[in-house]
Amino acid sequence: MIQFFGRSNELQLEKDASSRYLPIVISSMVFLAALALAGLFSIHSAVENWSTAVSGNLTVEIEYEAPRKLDKKVKITVDFLRTFPGVEKVRPLSLEESAKLLEPYLGRADVVKDLPLPRLIEVTIAEGSALDLVATAKKLSDTVPGARLNTHRPWLNKMITLARSVQLLAAAIMFIIGITTVIIVIFAARTGMVMHQEIIEVLHLTGAKDTYIARQFQNYFAKLSFLGALPGLLIAVLVMQILGFLTSQLEASLITAPTMIFEGWIALAMLPFLVALLTMGTVRWIVMGSLKRMM
Amino acid sequence: MVRFENVGMRYGMGPEVLRDINLHLAPGSFHFLTGPTGAGKSSLLKLLALSHRPSRGLLTLFGQEVNSLKREDLPAFRRKIGVVFQEFRLLNHLSTLDNVALPLRIAGADEEQIYKHVTELLDWVGLGPQVDAKPPTLSGGEKQRVAIARAVINRPQLLIADEPTGSMDPEMGLRLMHLFQELNKLGTTVVIATHDLGLIKRFSNPVLYLKDSTLYSSRSDEYLDQYHRSSL
Ligand SMILES: Nc1ncnc2c1ncn2[C@@H]1O[C@H](COP(=O)(O)OP(=O)(O)OP(=O)(O)O)[C@@H](O)[C@H]1O
Ligand SMILES: [Mg+2]
Repeated sequence: MIQFFGRSNELQLEKDASSRYLPIVISSMVFLAALALAGLFSIHSAVENWSTAVSGNLTVEIEYEAPRKLDKKVKITVDFLRTFPGVEKVRPLSLEESAKLLEPYLGRADVVKDLPLPRLIEVTIAEGSALDLVATAKKLSDTVPGARLNTHRPWLNKMITLARSVQLLAAAIMFIIGITTVIIVIFAARTGMVMHQEIIEVLHLTGAKDTYIARQFQNYFAKLSFLGALPGLLIAVLVMQILGFLTSQLEASLITAPTMIFEGWIALAMLPFLVALLTMGTVRWIVMGSLKRMM
Repeated sequence: MVRFENVGMRYGMGPEVLRDINLHLAPGSFHFLTGPTGAGKSSLLKLLALSHRPSRGLLTLFGQEVNSLKREDLPAFRRKIGVVFQEFRLLNHLSTLDNVALPLRIAGADEEQIYKHVTELLDWVGLGPQVDAKPPTLSGGEKQRVAIARAVINRPQLLIADEPTGSMDPEMGLRLMHLFQELNKLGTTVVIATHDLGLIKRFSNPVLYLKDSTLYSSRSDEYLDQYHRSSL
């Protein structure tokens, strides 16, 4: 680490004011990058939750009535649904199965079974079918009063598409931030070289290798970037905590609010190191490139 | 050690400031380089210091033709050459000690050794009290001595100095000339650019002189005779 951030012995870059703006700029860049990265990861995990929610089958729910009437309604509903093109499978759940599903919420299945439970029918739709769920749901409840088709699947599909586009946007923002950072660092390195042209020449003529000179620049700028990245990251994490708190207050029932997964935190923690490495590589590339022009 | 064969040099697209330079410097030789101002003395020394390439002709240093050297081999060659620049080129934000230590640090010497050698040499050139001073606070002659100390600290095989004693009193000038002589006795090839006829007279080393962008050489007494005759 000491070697990594070694002093710039001869160039004494820490004494010139021209590069002091760099940590501030890097700080804002890292702030934005951290938010984009957090967005990327938390939306990713949210989408995963939603996807498992929708990949299950559709369900039809029939309100409780006297058991005999209810059985009849179930039969009508099943026959009715089977007439639809695009419906692959219709399977009424037995009372035991329904009770089993509710067990975690209501208690032992054999007791639950005696409660006035709605009857459930599992409906599997053929993949890629163009069944209009909303229209189907309406027809169903017209035909069988008390029957209700869950229709949040298309809605969730739209949410997923939206989330995917937001993810894409976040990735694009990350990319732009990366490019901008590289450009800023290039300018800083160029300015530094111009300001220290004379010293560079003396070092060069005294037999310094290009790497010797480049190292002083790259270590110094990597240090600036790293130190600039820390406050940017800190503020971003604070902002995320506040946002997280606010969404948790929203009580969204159907969809889970986006939360950061573990990998996301690791990615965030690596951000300052990545920025320092990016800076180091860029500065080295620029300095070595312009030293090549000297004899 | 050094061989010029029909060497020419120009700055960018400008006119040739040196042309048809033919010269051979034997190892362990000691030459003065002189000529009127603007004749190209500093330019010739830039070729020797590997800071410029000849624009034509062959320049051979330490047995290698310079234009055929790979770029990554140049630092090793430069470390064998000590240079006192006409404008000193000290690093203003570094102490006298760090300025003189520069060639050793670049060559990767051990800090303890560096400190020992540098303070010894600084004492010798009379800068003992100024080890921690920065160049902007030094007098012209003091700066010049720092520049000389930096050029010789590495025991170079080739020492080139551009007007190294111009800014100091004659006594200190002689002292430093003796330092150059000592190094020369130990085997260093020395080239010193100067306008100082007194120096040429006193040390009677062979003289290289630049006239009309090209180089002539002669013995010092011949050169002085010629000089006096032409100025009469
Ligand atoms: N960097 C440069 N770019 C263009 N021309 C230059 C450059 N340096 C020197 N010259 C030109 O080359 C010629 C020789 O200059 P040089 O400095 O070698 O002379 P000199 O003999 O060292 O003079 P002095 O005795 O004044 O130090 C001059 O005509 C000068 O104008
Ligand atoms: Mg000159």
